[in-house]
Formats: sequence, structure tokens, C-alpha cells
Amino acid sequence: MHLPSALLLLAFFAPGAALAAEQLNSATVDYVTQLKPILVARCYACHSALRKKSGLRLDTADALIKGGDGGPAIEPGNSRTSYLIEMLTGESGTRMPPESEGAALTAEQIDLFRQWIDQGAHAPAETPQADPREHWAYHPPARPELPRIQNATWVRNPVDAFVAQQYDELLLTPVPEADKAMLLRRVYLDLIGLPPTREELSAFLASDSPTAYEEVVDRLLASPQYGERWARHWMDIWRYSDWSGFKEEVRDSCRHLWRWRDWIVESLNADKGYDRMAMEMLAGDEIAPTDPDTLRATGFLVRDWYKFNRDVWLQATVEHTGKAFLGVTLNCCRCHDHKFDPISQVEYYRFRSIFEPYNLRTERMPGEAELTKNGLSRACDLTADVPTYLLERGDERRPNKEIAITPGTPEVFGSSLKVEPIELPVLEYYPALQEFALKEDTAQVADHVAAAEKAAAAADMAVAAAQKQLDSKSPADAGASQAKLIAGNGQSVNPAKPGANQSNSAANVADSRAELHQAVDRAVATAELVMKQLASARAAQVSLAARIAADKAKYGLTPGADLRQLVSAANQAQRELALCQAQEQQISVAQELAISKAKLKANDPASAKTVEAAEKKVTDAATALAKAHAASAVAGETYEPLGAEIPHQSTGRRLAFARWLVNRNNPLTARVAINHIWLRHFGAPLVDNMFDFGLRSPRPRNQALLDWLAVELMENGWQMKHIHRLLVTSSAYRMSSSSAEATPVDLTADRDNQYLWRMNSRRLEAEAVRDSVFFTAGDLDLKRGGPDIAYNLANDTPRRSIYFQYADEKMNQLLQIFDNASVNECYRRNESVVPQQALAMANSDVCRNQSRLLAKKLSESSGQGDAANGQFVRTAYEQILGRDPTSTESDECEKFLETQTAQFRNAGSLTPIESNIKATVAPSGDPTQRARESLTLVLYNHNDFITVR
Amino acid sequence: MSGHKFRTNACGRVPRRAFLADVGMGFTGLALGAMLHRDGFASGAAAWSPPNGLPHFAPKAKSVIWLFMIGGVSHLESFDPKPALNKYGGKSIGETPYKSVLDQKFLDANVRTAVPDQRKILSQLFPLQVGYRKRGESGIEISDWWPNVGDCVDDLAVIRSMWTNDIDHGAQLQFHTGRNKLDGFFPTIGSWVHYGLGTLNENLPQFVVMGNPVADCCGGQEAHHANYLGPEHDGVPLIADPANPLAYGRPTAGVYREEQAAEFEMLERLDRLALAEYPDDAKALARIKSYELAFRMQRAIPEVFEFQQETAATQKLYGFDKESTTPFAKHCLGARRLVERGVRFVQIYHGGSGDAGHWDAHTNLRVNHAINCEQVDKPIAGLIRDLKQRGMLDETLVVWATEFGRSPGSEKSDGRDHHPFGFSVWMAGGGIKGGVVHGATDELGFSAVENRHYITDIHATVLHQLGLDSRRLEVPGRKRLEVEHGHLIKEIIA
Repeated sequence: MHLPSALLLLAFFAPGAALAAEQLNSATVDYVTQLKPILVARCYACHSALRKKSGLRLDTADALIKGGDGGPAIEPGNSRTSYLIEMLTGESGTRMPPESEGAALTAEQIDLFRQWIDQGAHAPAETPQADPREHWAYHPPARPELPRIQNATWVRNPVDAFVAQQYDELLLTPVPEADKAMLLRRVYLDLIGLPPTREELSAFLASDSPTAYEEVVDRLLASPQYGERWARHWMDIWRYSDWSGFKEEVRDSCRHLWRWRDWIVESLNADKGYDRMAMEMLAGDEIAPTDPDTLRATGFLVRDWYKFNRDVWLQATVEHTGKAFLGVTLNCCRCHDHKFDPISQVEYYRFRSIFEPYNLRTERMPGEAELTKNGLSRACDLTADVPTYLLERGDERRPNKEIAITPGTPEVFGSSLKVEPIELPVLEYYPALQEFALKEDTAQVADHVAAAEKAAAAADMAVAAAQKQLDSKSPADAGASQAKLIAGNGQSVNPAKPGANQSNSAANVADSRAELHQAVDRAVATAELVMKQLASARAAQVSLAARIAADKAKYGLTPGADLRQLVSAANQAQRELALCQAQEQQISVAQELAISKAKLKANDPASAKTVEAAEKKVTDAATALAKAHAASAVAGETYEPLGAEIPHQSTGRRLAFARWLVNRNNPLTARVAINHIWLRHFGAPLVDNMFDFGLRSPRPRNQALLDWLAVELMENGWQMKHIHRLLVTSSAYRMSSSSAEATPVDLTADRDNQYLWRMNSRRLEAEAVRDSVFFTAGDLDLKRGGPDIAYNLANDTPRRSIYFQYADEKMNQLLQIFDNASVNECYRRNESVVPQQALAMANSDVCRNQSRLLAKKLSESSGQGDAANGQFVRTAYEQILGRDPTSTESDECEKFLETQTAQFRNAGSLTPIESNIKATVAPSGDPTQRARESLTLVLYNHNDFITVR
Repeated sequence: MSGHKFRTNACGRVPRRAFLADVGMGFTGLALGAMLHRDGFASGAAAWSPPNGLPHFAPKAKSVIWLFMIGGVSHLESFDPKPALNKYGGKSIGETPYKSVLDQKFLDANVRTAVPDQRKILSQLFPLQVGYRKRGESGIEISDWWPNVGDCVDDLAVIRSMWTNDIDHGAQLQFHTGRNKLDGFFPTIGSWVHYGLGTLNENLPQFVVMGNPVADCCGGQEAHHANYLGPEHDGVPLIADPANPLAYGRPTAGVYREEQAAEFEMLERLDRLALAEYPDDAKALARIKSYELAFRMQRAIPEVFEFQQETAATQKLYGFDKESTTPFAKHCLGARRLVERGVRFVQIYHGGSGDAGHWDAHTNLRVNHAINCEQVDKPIAGLIRDLKQRGMLDETLVVWATEFGRSPGSEKSDGRDHHPFGFSVWMAGGGIKGGVVHGATDELGFSAVENRHYITDIHATVLHQLGLDSRRLEVPGRKRLEVEHGHLIKEIIA
């Protein structure tokens, strides 16, 4: 018998202290009710089928008598000589359970064992625990034969055959198909996350083609919105998170992760196989090291970056790789062997060792050299030589350096890793030589030269102009025109006391001439500096070209080049550049000093300080220049390379793991993927726990269906669109979600619909709620991809929700209220019902604005005025809820419009709700239209709007 | 037979669907649970059922006001005077007669923190930055930074022997869940209270949060969330401002009351019409109820914060007359008004800074604590006095807490480091003794040595005063650790 997990847990944490005192006094100890729970809770982890430590199993009374390496554990009739009692009390010197497993059994509990042994250790016949290696999920799925079923006409494809097989077993009857409108809305929201438009709805309703539905499915799967919709599902599972941190400091995840999001969307739209996607995410850098498109996939690993603690970071990688791809919980075996699954602590660290060398770096992307502004964050192996140690009890302060941990996967999942190191191409380990980067940098230094040349020409002209002023003007009118003089560096020369300059006094004339002289001096000085800047810019250009040539030769990109000569050229160019820059600096600080001296005033300590600082700079510059001079004379063999290099080899561990993961014989990968896809089409999974297929996960209700789909996925190139098509075109999927036509057997035998005799109703996910509001109002911008948009713009920016920033503390509130994924982990969304959701839908500017916009559009097509109200109601239902109103609904709505219109006609008598939140779309001034806006809002709040029926 | 195996998911919650399908109960706490019962919906409840909203035994208190100071308040400069620090200031612990405090078994054994070995024990003792005096009839010593709270000391039970095991600010989360942040997220004390007890007011959320919350570094919103109990038991953040007290709490400008009322009414009518096809759709029914509550909430909540309804004397009592005390005064007076209207649990944060928290005085502790204490001292004392004068203190439990204390040693600066080994909290009202000190740290204020209490002992005491037994609140499949339940602090019960 398999113990329900809840019971098991209960027993595990509540060591039989609960066994009350009254039981102690009862004459006979009952093994099954009194002792077995204690054994399960305290002993099984080490002494049962999973792990027979010391050869001892305690899962049956017979096993107790038989004992282990140390002989029988009990001697019936004689507790005094029973080894078990010695161990439990610790009399033998060793106590069981050991201290590391918590407290000893209580005296009362031990007494129970004593009494039971003395009473003869009677127990009913028991079945020993099954070998955990036989667990269903640890064996590769085989394609089951299609069952023959009674109601063959109901079966559209093999999915139905497996579903219907269980109807036959349980005498269940599937409910009829959903009506066409409902089915259309369901499949639209399911595949693209947006409802059908009115035009699409009426075309579908009008079509009598027998394949109309299949055509819709094909069209939706081919639409780019499919990728966006399903990307969000996979982003939950793969833990997408934009970076978070304190102010500009990144603490979790990494900048530019949106590129991974775009890769997911594009890959899904291209129907890239799930196997290939998994491989690229885990080892894209080892598969296609120089392909930036593929490198984006490693965002899966980049996301785990954690600033403060490498162990915490790798813990997350191990845990979530395990949960997302394998449905296995690699958490507790960090500290001790897994309590439930046959995974040892050593195997945990072997798994970690796969990831031990990995780290990340941000690559430059075309158009932007500043990596905080743009870039590609990707994984790569940087520390191949860092060993993995088993951490005693998971404590990073206690590595066990005696056991060598090699990369590997838990043995129970079969086959081992074949790790081969991968030689990386030059442009991967030395990306500074990428063509676009060279081009951009070369263009940049050329631009600097051009700008410097322009400045130099201008400075020359300024000198000439100043000189001309001085030469051509008589001393008398020099003062008047002096004010217009513009120095070569573009700075206006301040006219000192312009009023005084215009006077004709001899002293003033002399002053003016002096100032003109000064102006000439300044222009000359500026020109001198600008000329030097030009020289520096030219030297920089030469230096860059020389470094590129040397780097290219060094990395073998220019065959036959003379590396020595190129290196010495680069060296020389760099020396010359350094000298130019030192000279430039010298001139610049000398001028600075002159200016500060000119401004020096008596009794002004600040100005004296400036002079002092400038003097210090001049001294420093002189020293630097002397050094540069000395260095320029000495030829060397080194130069500054263009960029940094990473190891030339990747360990190949992750690629080996990825190959192992998607191998046809892996028992878990395809099943876990199918379970995720199934959940999101049917509202309930095939295996209840999305991330734990281990021993705590009982055989699924319909394993044949799960296995058939898993094999179908693998044998069809792991293409997910194929699976989507199979699922949504099945009869099972097309059923109504109403139980109105259920049979009494359906309702009694399977009230909770575990065997799918009807479809499940589901609440839309947060993103689909928001997107659908904008979309039905005709306002959704379907632009795809690009950098994440600030989360606080989500109410006014009509892009799809997937494109907004999504991280801790940086999340749109509306999405949060509707249970969007926790960034930490979310293998399955919540579907809560809380009043905050009601307030958000009724009051938010998103819903108020969009309902006003939509009401306006709907009135344009249905006609204005009270007479057109009926038409308005119909169009509104179609547009928002994807169906026609019933006649009662229609009547109610028309009545509402009528009453509301009358009320708005008399608006003066109404009480406005005070609010400091400004509406960006104002309500209509026309009473009829205002009533329609009101109804539109009501329909957005309708339960059927956020529900997929 | 479907049994009661609760599906759980990785977002860590018992999905609503499971609750609704299995026990026919459950969204917005008992308010709606009770309504569903009245509607005859909750039929066929089986062996396990969620709490029925009644206490397990006779309660002493009805409501809790939980004041939490973010960043770590120095116990040494607040509620636990250690003159030895002045005597030996500047010396290392080893040079004092009390060097044995470093051998304490409590010291290292339990510390678990995300960044290992990040913090060393600071040995060089830092003298007290403030004076103390005996206060009230009980003569309990309280520091001069807490003059007003000090005057209320005869109503306080000061617990000087708290300990926790995160030496970093993850302890903020831990104080509310009882579990180290490394273990993940769990229901918080407020959500357990919300989950366990029925409502006293169907128009207000039953678990309210005010003030800048804990930052994500340290647990974030999870410090007032319900985790697996479900989002309906999360604390609802309110802002003490009638103009905009809760998210989406009112429509954009230009909407009429009559208009909105008609909309909600129409919505219910249409929802019910559409339900004809889905008579057993529990979630749809729950949604209709959630709109009813939402509608009432948006009316009832702003009224709570209309402080002009209070007399000038009352406002002054809380510190409305001073700019520095007004923000916290609004939270405290708001809390009294919420409790008066039947809200069960009001959690007020002070010092949320988007990072470690304003109380985190690694440097310049003297200025830091003087400023922070001044912001809260008057409002907190005002709250206690006001509750008392209205006869509400007997049934309102006030808890003042912080994530840990501050180190007796200095960081070679004029501040103190984090200190989980021993620190103080206090409780008042709600059947708690006044004018008592319970537990003690050693002579240097280093480790709690007498009547040591892990933080969940506060939870146990709170639940006990409310008449709840945390073991009886457990959710199947979510067995809690022993340490999460904590132990009642019997000695301070009146």
C-alpha cells in the first residue's frame, strides 16, 4: 500500500509523542497502530527498501526479527536481550535514531517496544515495502497500445481513446461538446492568450466546413501570438526574472534578460523541439558558442546569478533544473541522502558538479559598447578547475575534501554522462575581435579625429581673427568691437566693464589694447591645446589599428602575418599615443593654472586653493610627461589587448548533461513536459505535483495517456505544436465545462471530474486578463520583443504583459492581484478569488479607460440612440464575452441602459465619488453613451470574462 | 470517495480549487465562508474542515496591534540596561569579568544566514549611548529615548530574553513566519490569526498592514503574506489616507456613487444568470461574494482614516501636532480605529527603507536611534493610553517587536552590529500582565540566558490570548515543525 503523502508527512513530523498515555496501560501493544507509525516516521528513511543501512530493514516485523549485519534486532519474548532496545535507549553506546535525525524516542515509546517484544512481537502478515527503483516514473515510457473502447465514434484521436478507456472502467459518460462560440473562445485564449474578435467569431459560426475548427487551430498555432502566450507558461517554469537589486546594484538575475524571453517566444513560434530548447538553455554556449541568437537561451542559467553567495546560486540551479526538467526535488539531499527518493547526498553534489564551472558574462552587442545599457548576458564555463566538495550537512563551512566529486546524474535515472571538453572558437573566448566591434571602435576613433580636425581649423581661424582685430583696429575703437571677439575654443571673451571701454580716455584705450592682446594670447593657447588634442586623436587611431592588427595576428585571424613586427608596431603606437596624451595633459593643466592665477584674488582662500591645486596638477603632469618620454624611447614586446580572454575550452559538462536529459531513455523529461502542457490545456495535470514525480507521487490516474503522449512528443522531434494540436482537437478538449447534462454516475462516482467527463473551467492568468482587456477594446499593440518596459508603465502602455519588467519589487500591481507567478518559483499558478481583484477590475484606470474607449467603438458599429441599445448589447457581449446574450440577459441589459440613461440625464442629482486619480479617458457627456460605458465596464467585470469555460 | 489529499503547487499554496471542491468553503476568510454556509453551499464537509471562526478556548483578547521596527532596534539602548558596557566600554569582552559570555552554547550553534561567515563577533565593547531611569510604579528601567512608552511601563510586559537565528535582516521575515529565511516562505502570524478567527466586521479586511513594508532583501511582502493558506489570508496593505487608502479602492475621478452601485448590482444579476449553466461552480459563487465585499470595503475603509472625527485632544495624544510623529501617529490611531471596527490583526511597520531598514544603526547609533525613537515613542504611548481610556486595552493585545537586537561590541565605529543572540520585545494589554520584566540577558546583554524565548513564543502567546491553538489550525499535508508552534510565555499572562 502506498501511504498518502499527507499522512506520511504527518507521521514524519509528529514522532509518536501523540501516542497518549492511556495506550501505555492497555494490555496488549498493537504493532500496526502503535509501533509502525513510529518506525515509519523515525526509522524508514535509513532502514527500509530505500536504504538498508547496516543491512537492516524495519518495514516489517519479520524484518525486525531477521535483523541486519549486527544480527536480529529483536528477540520475541525477551526485550532485555533485544538489540533494538539497546539502540533506542543508547545503552549500546550508539543511539538510534542518531542525534542528527532529531531527538531520541521518548521513554514511553521505547516502553511500548519493550512490551510488544515481551508480549511475543506479534504482527499481522505484512507486505514489505516495494523497491523504490521500481517506481513508475523511473522507467522510460513505452508507447502503450491503443485501447479498444465502447463509444468509438466519440474518439477523434488517441488522446480520446485513453480518456474514454477510463469512462468504460468507471461507467462515466462524457458531456456533450461545448457550443461553437464557447469552444472558439476557449481555444483562442488557450493558444494565443487573446479572445477572438467579433469578425472571427461570426466567420466561425457561419462556416459549415467540417474542418473549420481544425483550420482555426492551425491558424492560431501559426500566429506569432502563440509564442507569446506559451512563452509566459514556460517562463513560469523556467523562473524568468528580470534583474533586481538595490538601486542600480544588481543582486539577483542579470541585466538584458529580455533577450532570453525573446528567444523563448521565437523558439516556440518556430516550433523548435523541446529537446533542442532544453539543450540550448543548459548548454547553448557549448553548442553554438559564437551564435548570439543561441547564446540568449542560456538566460535560464544566467537568471540564477546571486550576488552574495555562490552556494545559494548553485543550489537554485540544481534545485530548479531538477524540478523544471526532471520533476525531481533536489533540495533535501543537499544535507543528507534523500528521505523519499533513491538519491544520495553524493549524487546531489555530482549533479551540482555539472554546473560548478559555469558563470556568466555580458557580451557587447552591435550599436552599444556600454554594457549596462545593452548587451547579451550569457553563460560560460570560467572555472573548470574549481572542485566540487560534498558539504557536510549542507554547511558550506564544512566541505569534505576527501571525496572527489565528479559530474554525474542520479543512478536511478539510468545511463551516465559522457563528458568531453569542447574547444572554443577564437571569437567565443576572445569576443573583442568580433567584426562589428572592430568596425564600431574604428569608426569611433575616426570620428574623434574628424572632430579634432574641425576644432583645429576653427582654432586657427580664431587666432587669425583675433590677430586681425588687433592689427586692423586703431587703439581708439578697439574696445567697442572687442566684445564680439570669439576665441577659437568657442568661449566668449568677457568684455570687462563694457561701459568703460567705450570711453575715449587714454587709459581705457590702453586697457582695451591690452585686452585684445590677451584675446590673441588666449586664442593661440587654445589652438595649441586643440592641435595637441588632434595629435592625440590621430595617435589613438593609429594605436587602435595597430592593436587590432596585432590582436588579429595573435589569434591567427590574419594568416602569414608577422606577429613580432605587428606587436612591436602596436607597442610603438601605444607609446606614441601615451606621449601625445601626456603632452596634451601638460598643456591643458598649464592653461588651467594660468586661468586660475588670473582669477587669484587677495583675501580669497578659495581662489588660492584653486591655484594650489592647479600647480599640483602641473607638477604631476610634468612627472607623467617625463615618464612618457622615457618610456617612448624604449621599445617593448607588449601592448594593451583589445579585450579580455576566457578559457579556450568549455568543460562540456552541461552539454553532456543536456544530451542525457533529452535522451529517448530518460524516464522523466518528456513526461514532465507533457504534464505541463496538459495542465495548461485542461486546467488539471495528469500528475498532481508538477515538480515531484518521485516516490511521493503516486501512479497517475491515467499513466497510459501520459506515456503515450510522452512517446509521441519524443518521436515527433519533440515538437510541441504537434502535441497542442492533438490535445485541442480531441473530443475530450471540446467538451462543455458545464455539468448540467452530467449523468448521475458522473456526479457521484467522480464529482471532482478527475477522469475528465467534462471540461474544467479555468480562470484566466493575470497576463491574459490584462491583455484581453486591451485587446477587446481594440487597443492592444501587438509589437513583439525588445527590452523590458518599466513595470509602472503597464497601465498606460498597451503592449502585451509579457514585455513588462518582471522582478521582485518591480511588478505590475494588477498582475500581482491576479496571481502572477512568483519570480522565485511557480510550477503552477494560483487561481485565488479575493476582493482586491474585484476592486481592480471595477476601479482601475485600465478597465475604466478601456471600457469607455470600447463603448465608443461599439456605438459606432451598433448605432447611436436608445433605439440601437439592443444591437449595442449584442455587440458588447460578442466583443467582450465572445457570445450572444440570452434573451433574458439582453432584456436585463437594455433595462439597465434605459434606467442608467435616465439617471445620467439628471446628473445634477447624482453624488460623485471623490477621487484624486485622474481619468485619462473621460466619461461621455451623452447620457445614452455614458450608460453604455457603464454596461461595458460591467461586462469586463463579468465572471465569464476572466473565466475560460 | 475523493478523500482529502490537498494538492499543493510550487507557488506554495493550497490551491483554492482544492479547498472549494473538497470542503465547500473558503475564500475571504470566515466572512465569506460564513456567508457561503448561510447560502447552504457548504454541504458535505468531511473529516477535516478549515477553522469555523470560533476560538478553541475562551479568549482574553479580540484583536492584535503588531508594531514592528525594521532594521534591528538596540535592546541595549531601549529596554535592557547594561551598565557594565559603560564600565568596560572600549575594552574587549575578554578583558572583562564576563568573558564567559563568548563560550555560551547559544552563541554559534543556531546561526544560519545566507552569507556564511559574514559577521564576526565584535569584541570591543561600546558604551551605552543613552541614559536610563526607573519608570512607573514598577520602577522598570527604560531608556531616555522612550520617555512616553516609559510612562506606560506599568502596562507593559517587557521580555528581555528573545533570540532568533538569522544574523542578517532575513530575521525580519523570520519574526513573522517563525522560520529562517533560508527555509523559504511560510504563513505569517497575522495570516494564522486571520485564518483561525472569524470576522467581526464584514466590511473590512481582517488583516491590515500599514507602513513601508520589509524590503525584498529580507522577505518583502512575504512578511505579511499567508503563503499556503492562500492569498485571501494575506495582509491587506492600507494607507492611512482617506483619499486613497487601498489599491484600486476607488474609481478614477468622475464616477457617481449611484452609477457604481448600479454597476455592481447589474453585475451580480448577470453573473447569476450565467451561472444557471454552472450550478456547482463554487468559484463563481465566491467571485460574486468577493464583489459584495469589495463594494462594502471601498466605502468602509476611507471612513476609518477620517481622523478629523477624533477630538483635538486625542489627535495630540498620538502626536498629530508634530511633523516628525505624525506619520506613525496616523498608523497608530488608524490601528485603534480599525480594531474598534473589529479588525483582528493590524501589522504596522516602522523603518521600511527599501533595504535593511532605518533602525539598522551600524554607525552613528546615537543619532539614528534618537531620531527613530522620537518618531514612534509618542504615537505608541498615545495608542496604549487611548486604548486604556476607552476600555479597549483589555481586549487588544499590543506587541512591539524588532527582528533582533544590536551587538554589545562596536564595529570599530559609533554603531552596533546585528545581534540575534539576545534582545527585547514587549507586549501590553489583551490579558498580559503590566509592569513586569521577564527573562534576562547576561551582564553584557549578549545572550539571552534566563527564560530564553525563540520568536515563535511570541506567536504562541498571541494565539493563546486570542483563544487559538496553533496545532488545531494546521492544514493537512502542511505539517508544521515543532519550533513553528512555539511555547506560551505563561509568566506574563495576567
